[in-house]
Amino acid sequence: MSSDVTNTDVETLDTVNTGEPTFSEKFWKVFRGHPGALAGLIGITIFVLLAIFAPLIAPQDPYDQAQLDILDGLLPPGSTLWDGTPSLLGTDALGRDILSAVLYGLRISLFVALVAVIVGSAIGVFMGLLAAMKGGWVETAIMRAVDLKMSFPGILLALMVLAVFGSGIDKVIIALIIGAWASEARLVRAVALSELKKEYIDAARLAGLSDWRIMGRFLFPNSISPVLVVLPMSISGAIGAEATLSFLGVGVPITEPSLGLLIANGNDYILSGKWWISLFPGLVLVAMVLCINMVADRLRDHANPYLRGKD
Amino acid sequence: MLSFVGKRLGQSAILILIMSALVFFGMYVISDPVAVLAGEDFTEEDRLALAAELGVDRPLIAQYITFLGNVIRGDFGISFVYNRPVLDLILERLPATLEVAFFAMFIGLVVGIPLGVYSGLNQKARSTKTISFTTTVGYSIPNFWQGVLLILLFSVWFKVLPASGRGDTVDIFGVGWSLFSLDGLSHLILPALNLAIYTICLQARLARSGTQEVMYQDYMTFARAKGISRNRIVRRHLVRNILIPIVTITGLQLGGLIAFATVTETVFSWPGIGKLLLDSIHSSDRPVVVAYLILITLMFVTINFIVDVLYALLDPRIRYT
Amino acid sequence: MTEHLIHVEDLTIAYPMADGEKFRAIDGFSMTVNRGQIVGVVGESGAGKSTIGKATLGLLDENAVIDTGGVSLDQVMVTQLEEHAFTDIRGNKVGYIYQNPMTALNPVLTIGEQIVEAIEANTDKRGSAARDYAITLLEQAEVPHPEERLSKYPHQLSGGLCQRIVFAIAISAKPDLIIADEPTTALDVTVQKAVLDTLVKLTRQENIAIILITHDMGVVAEMCDYVYVLRHGKLVEEGPTAQVLKHPTQPYSRELMAAIPRIDTKIERFAVPGGLGKAEDRQRAIDYLMSRKTDAGVEGTPLLSVRNLSKTFTNNATALKAATDFKAVSDVSFDVYPGETLGIVGESGSGKSTVGRMILGLHKPDAGYEITYRGRNIDDLKSRADKLAHRQSLQCIFQDPYSSLNPRMTAGDNITYALRAHGTLTRQEARTLAGDLMELVGLPRASARKMPHAFSGGERQRIGIARALSFRPDFIFCDEPTSALDVTVQAELLNLMKDLQDQLGLTLLFVSHDLSVVRQMCDRVMVMKAGEVVEAGDCEKVLVAPDHPYTQGLLAAMPRFRPEEAS
Repeated sequence: MSSDVTNTDVETLDTVNTGEPTFSEKFWKVFRGHPGALAGLIGITIFVLLAIFAPLIAPQDPYDQAQLDILDGLLPPGSTLWDGTPSLLGTDALGRDILSAVLYGLRISLFVALVAVIVGSAIGVFMGLLAAMKGGWVETAIMRAVDLKMSFPGILLALMVLAVFGSGIDKVIIALIIGAWASEARLVRAVALSELKKEYIDAARLAGLSDWRIMGRFLFPNSISPVLVVLPMSISGAIGAEATLSFLGVGVPITEPSLGLLIANGNDYILSGKWWISLFPGLVLVAMVLCINMVADRLRDHANPYLRGKD
Repeated sequence: MLSFVGKRLGQSAILILIMSALVFFGMYVISDPVAVLAGEDFTEEDRLALAAELGVDRPLIAQYITFLGNVIRGDFGISFVYNRPVLDLILERLPATLEVAFFAMFIGLVVGIPLGVYSGLNQKARSTKTISFTTTVGYSIPNFWQGVLLILLFSVWFKVLPASGRGDTVDIFGVGWSLFSLDGLSHLILPALNLAIYTICLQARLARSGTQEVMYQDYMTFARAKGISRNRIVRRHLVRNILIPIVTITGLQLGGLIAFATVTETVFSWPGIGKLLLDSIHSSDRPVVVAYLILITLMFVTINFIVDVLYALLDPRIRYT
Repeated sequence: MTEHLIHVEDLTIAYPMADGEKFRAIDGFSMTVNRGQIVGVVGESGAGKSTIGKATLGLLDENAVIDTGGVSLDQVMVTQLEEHAFTDIRGNKVGYIYQNPMTALNPVLTIGEQIVEAIEANTDKRGSAARDYAITLLEQAEVPHPEERLSKYPHQLSGGLCQRIVFAIAISAKPDLIIADEPTTALDVTVQKAVLDTLVKLTRQENIAIILITHDMGVVAEMCDYVYVLRHGKLVEEGPTAQVLKHPTQPYSRELMAAIPRIDTKIERFAVPGGLGKAEDRQRAIDYLMSRKTDAGVEGTPLLSVRNLSKTFTNNATALKAATDFKAVSDVSFDVYPGETLGIVGESGSGKSTVGRMILGLHKPDAGYEITYRGRNIDDLKSRADKLAHRQSLQCIFQDPYSSLNPRMTAGDNITYALRAHGTLTRQEARTLAGDLMELVGLPRASARKMPHAFSGGERQRIGIARALSFRPDFIFCDEPTSALDVTVQAELLNLMKDLQDQLGLTLLFVSHDLSVVRQMCDRVMVMKAGEVVEAGDCEKVLVAPDHPYTQGLLAAMPRFRPEEAS
């Protein structure tokens, strides 16, 4: 930048309006007049903060066996533990404080979903771009793999993977990645194919640019927005899928319970009226997924050309 | 048309072959069935004898080829746990799964599509905002937890509907149906509702976005300019256009429902193939898991195939090219 | 006053915008139409002309607001009617013809269903009587084999036929008025002529008035009695067609008339403002461009020589259909000499663009061809550097200004990114060059920092030209470079291209469907039809006294814009 300072050309002045709306302008365009989506965004922020700072907020370390006392087992919400710690949401059969368990469970649920979706989407985007750009057998191979994946509902595929590899956090993440990449690849390929027909791509070819450069500088930035729009939906889907797998007992291990596993643990006590063990993790799970979906819905509506400016 | 059908059938066969190999070899990574079935007091000889009896002592490839040959004859082997032919086990439970899936699909279509078309047509109405919020909430609640809530609400607190099992069944064509007995119906309602809520929300959202998209097409404006009544425009021009994507999705969704039945059946102890799959995964009942996955692949391939053909038949742009 | 069929009085229609401002699509506009009259409403894009038709039929977007005035039809103020009251007007009193017939017809309903439902909605004919009447209407609209067509779907018919079907629907109830919104814009010129003739015939029989909304002055000159010229929603000028065309009184109308390319005469420059940047600003760019390394061939030898060029496309197999071959170009040969402009004219599907794209290397021709550029067979180029130099020496000005720039790069990066990526220029050099080229094509230097969406269509085409020039090419393929632009913008751009060619000695291959544009731009011309060259020769010869019947037909179909002859 230092060389620019001496240059007196008008073009180097940063005051030139680039014609591109700023981030806050874009932000308000999406969220203004949509209190639900805005509330969702605030909710997501709170959940993420709770997950990050869970060890500081939680009244108890739910994994530390030394802190648990079986005498505190199955206390209803609002009780006080044997050592005087208030238990806002009650305890489970092992005397574990539900609030603490939920905060730690939130951490695991969010971590698994985020890692799976980010890795899965990245793989999907790359595969989709590659298929569109290269065509021929590369495209055929990638798209057949996508078809193979897409002919199965995600939950079933994940069950298969876990039935084969066994359970565990890493296995769940792998199962979710396998579930996530294909739809992104198909989406990106469709967008990229229509972008490839546009004349700016021809111009790049006439400039003698390599396929990789065209992919990186031309195709990628113009094909990525639909994926960004569905990203929140993918994340909430992954949170739900992980919870389902853990609920079915093939997901995360009992030593690191996610929200889904907490619900499953509490499920055995529902018929005997100990509803709080299952209900509170469930409420948190649903609230988080709902918040993400509110934002996702808004993003999708905003990206839909038929609705833009109509609502 | 014929070459298209032939090509698709060929692709389907390859798909099933690939899946069967993946599943069969994959299953060998999980725990040894001999270890599961062997009693505490088994000697090494007993174990070898058991392995020979189960046929798991031979090389993997040989086992796979034998397996494939048997599958083509309709023989999926004997369940380690139930000690009965796997195919019988699955076919016995299939009606329960299909019953709950189809019932849920029916509710989903009948409720979901009209809701979606209505909210697509009246975008600014207050009722539309309510519908759209409700559907967002509806599909935000994970299936299994919805099930847990339904049990908590209707079985534990209100005590009006049973929480598990199929209840009395009525035999029709040699198959038992819960739908036709009062007790059976009361058992069916909660699991079907559990599956249907998601379907309703999905169909409503699809119909809504389809409606919104079609609404702004030139031919809709031109139809208005022709002087046709609004009612007729909706009935003919709109519904015929959104029907095409809805049929496609409904086909794929049926597959999804059968898959999600695994969850619902587990929550409600509904004796279908989904619960069988999970029990078998937990008990390492390999033949059942393998057979289930291959059969379900076959089922999905068939559904996808029918959907593709239907799609081509429904859309004149594809039918006449 | 009483005989007016339509009376538009001080109409203002506004759309609220995201920033709280209002956009006035139409602003204080007044007009009258009498029974049986054909009135033209003419203007460039954004003039608000379609809004008038939509307001008359109550088809405005939901968020449109009528701020002042209104439209009365037969003394009834239609702009104040409720939605249900329009059923008596739409189809019944006023027929509507849509711009694009392919999208106006519902793709999943048969032609028969769509005509019959209009007949049943607006007349007392039902069932087989309605069907018989539909056949009569199709006959009147000159649709061949009307009975067979009833069971067809829109995508099975051509655009021209679809538009005739739309006509049949519009006249089914013998309305008093037809609003035709750019009825021929989506059609080829030969089809346009026949379709317009049918429309006039149909309406003359029944004394139906027409409001013809169009951007095409030639169409107005041939069809309309009276014309209204609009710009930015405001009335610029009105009057009998002959008077407005011959003696436009307002500056904008004068500019508009001057910008229209004429088929009958060649003019050196259009009398419109704009063109190259200021002389002192553009010198640096000119110096850069003139420093290109050309082994300027021997005088009289072609720069580019093309022999036996063919191209076969294979349509992929679909669900119900096997793969089919389609010959887009067959056996085309020609030479282009340094500094000249060779035109290729033809209708859509004639293969004219494919020829250019093959020369550029964007399509691979069928085997058996030979392309010689600067005396070398291009397939003999082996080294990477040679190939790159060859590739960059042939550039293109594209058709669609809205897709020819990378929307995620600034204008400047669009122009010079490739040179930087190849390491030809440093970042600083690239920046300077982008600015120089922007000035050369008449854009402010500073706007090189803006993103493409901040520019208008004409400005984007200028950026596209600057990008093509950045490689210092000898040869530029112009692929319908002005077909997406308004006529005044087109005139500015054509002026710019002529000036650049004069200054830089560029060789151009100019593809267009518009004979009058080709007449203005080209030295020689080839006429293509269905992949083959039917006629070639000097522009003045081919476009004045063509030998081939196809060329003669094309010329005859061109709407004549001859204000001096207008009566």
